[in-house]
Amino acid sequence: MEEKINIEIKKKRKMNKHIKIIALQIVFLAVVFFAVYAIYPKTSVKISGNAVSFNSNNAEVIIISENPDFSNPRYLDIEKNTSIILKPGTYYWKPSNNYIEGLKNEFTIETEVGMKIERENESELVNVGNVKINVTRSKSGMMVGHIILEPNASKKIEDKGEYAGRQI
Amino acid sequence: MRLNNLITNKLAIKHKKEFGKLENCYSGKKKILSISLAILMIFFIINLIPKASALGITPGRTTIEFEAGLEKEIAFDVLNNEHKHMKVTLFSTMQDDLNGSINLFEDSIEFLPSEEKKSLRYKLKLPEELEPGLHVGEIVAVEIPTSTGKDTFVGATVAVISQLHIYVPCPGKCIESDLEVLDAETNGTATFIVPVISRGKLGIGEVRAIIDIYKLGEKITTLETDAQPLESGKRTELSAKWSVDAPAGDYLAKVSVFYDGESKSFEKYFTVGLKTLTIESILVKDFRLGEIAKLQILVENRWNQELKNVFANLLVYNEQEQVMADVKSATENIPALNKKELVAYWDTVGVEEGEYNGKLMVKYGEKSTDKNLILKISEGSLDITGVGYAIRQSGGKGINMTTILLVLVIILIIANLAWFVFFKRFIGKKETKSSGRVIRA
Repeated sequence: MEEKINIEIKKKRKMNKHIKIIALQIVFLAVVFFAVYAIYPKTSVKISGNAVSFNSNNAEVIIISENPDFSNPRYLDIEKNTSIILKPGTYYWKPSNNYIEGLKNEFTIETEVGMKIERENESELVNVGNVKINVTRSKSGMMVGHIILEPNASKKIEDKGEYAGRQI
Repeated sequence: MRLNNLITNKLAIKHKKEFGKLENCYSGKKKILSISLAILMIFFIINLIPKASALGITPGRTTIEFEAGLEKEIAFDVLNNEHKHMKVTLFSTMQDDLNGSINLFEDSIEFLPSEEKKSLRYKLKLPEELEPGLHVGEIVAVEIPTSTGKDTFVGATVAVISQLHIYVPCPGKCIESDLEVLDAETNGTATFIVPVISRGKLGIGEVRAIIDIYKLGEKITTLETDAQPLESGKRTELSAKWSVDAPAGDYLAKVSVFYDGESKSFEKYFTVGLKTLTIESILVKDFRLGEIAKLQILVENRWNQELKNVFANLLVYNEQEQVMADVKSATENIPALNKKELVAYWDTVGVEEGEYNGKLMVKYGEKSTDKNLILKISEGSLDITGVGYAIRQSGGKGINMTTILLVLVIILIIANLAWFVFFKRFIGKKETKSSGRVIRA
């Protein structure tokens, strides 16, 4: 009987030792996670047209790439708030400070095909989108020519027929 | 409108005088009368044509990888850039083997001036099989000319297209590639980036590129990029650096991309320049909050050629980082190696005192010189401070999260192993000994 009690006591002691070790590990993990959370470069991103704004209190650099594997990254120094103009596409980015490089995020700047005919003394076709476009001109359903326009570029046109713009 | 009326009236008076002088000549009078009427009619019709036609669509292109029998709804927006009342008709076109694959939910829409965009969808249903390669479909949005009563619109119409690119992988290995040249400035280091997309069913073991740079048909240098493996359907970038010891001007890059014994070549022109355009200063005189502020932006063209259609675009953000002002200057041509002032006007009605973030972009062609700004606005002053940012080729010294997690896992494994060994060797033995003693006792 006494032997059984001894064995039970020893088992409990063993278990207590294991529990102590597990508890220590949990405390260690909690401390590490808290420390990582505290120094993690928390950054938000806002997109307005082609302008991308990064806002952060503790990030120093934004690592940005067009590839999910971050090949050929560019490093953008940021103040509290930094904006950058990017061409349309999908971008992968992560914030960094001297301690931690953050997790991968992504955003997409959509392409926009936009055209405007300004009619003052002469008619002018303006590319008001954010990509280079190929404009085909048709008359009575027949294609009669085409114009290449960079964003914000314009060209004098004959104000007749149909001008159809598509991304190059 | 007023200008056209004025011109119409002047022409009418002029023709009336002419008509008086020629009143004895009956046939001449008839001729002049008909010409006058024709001119008046033309001006009348011109007055009917809207001053501007504008239409936009986004995205300009949607790209998808082919999947047999795929059914998917794809979203797009039609934009009313001019905020006007407008009717737009929509239709789709597809290549023969994709006929009937696109079904638009709506074939016409109507905008009110208050509406900036309309979000729409179309349904795509792909066939079970398609030939390898690129298949293109188009969603076309056309502004319907407005007509009032018997008067009809005679000006050009605008149509914008959102493309649908469907890639069917080729049976073996094939690629799509391009070239981008960054920071090509004399005495600087240019970066050549060759983005490569695998369009084949098979992955590529190694892809690399050789770039030959030519000036007026004479080879200047040859660059070799790094080599990368590339999985099927994925994208990677190859890069090479060039210490630019050549003068500014236009150059030709001949690019050969090699991938597992096959190659693809293409050419692209690029420009080496000096730092082209710099923003020297921004001046605001006699600022009064609530009135129109005149911004005088001094820019310098450091390029040895005239820069055409240069304009400044100032964006001011509110606290929510939304654009609260978007101000553009008139376009100017800046002669080579000259300074010029670009003038933009900002209507500050409704703007409150405070500190705002802003961005000044001076655009020329497809390039832009940008400057981040802080605008401190008070009742009688507008102070603009440049903040500036730098894009570097290296940086970001922090430890990445994967490394942190890996280290944590390793530490925990080591700790547990150590505990296991310690427990087995010492505590376990000790307890066996003591339990042995208990038994012997």
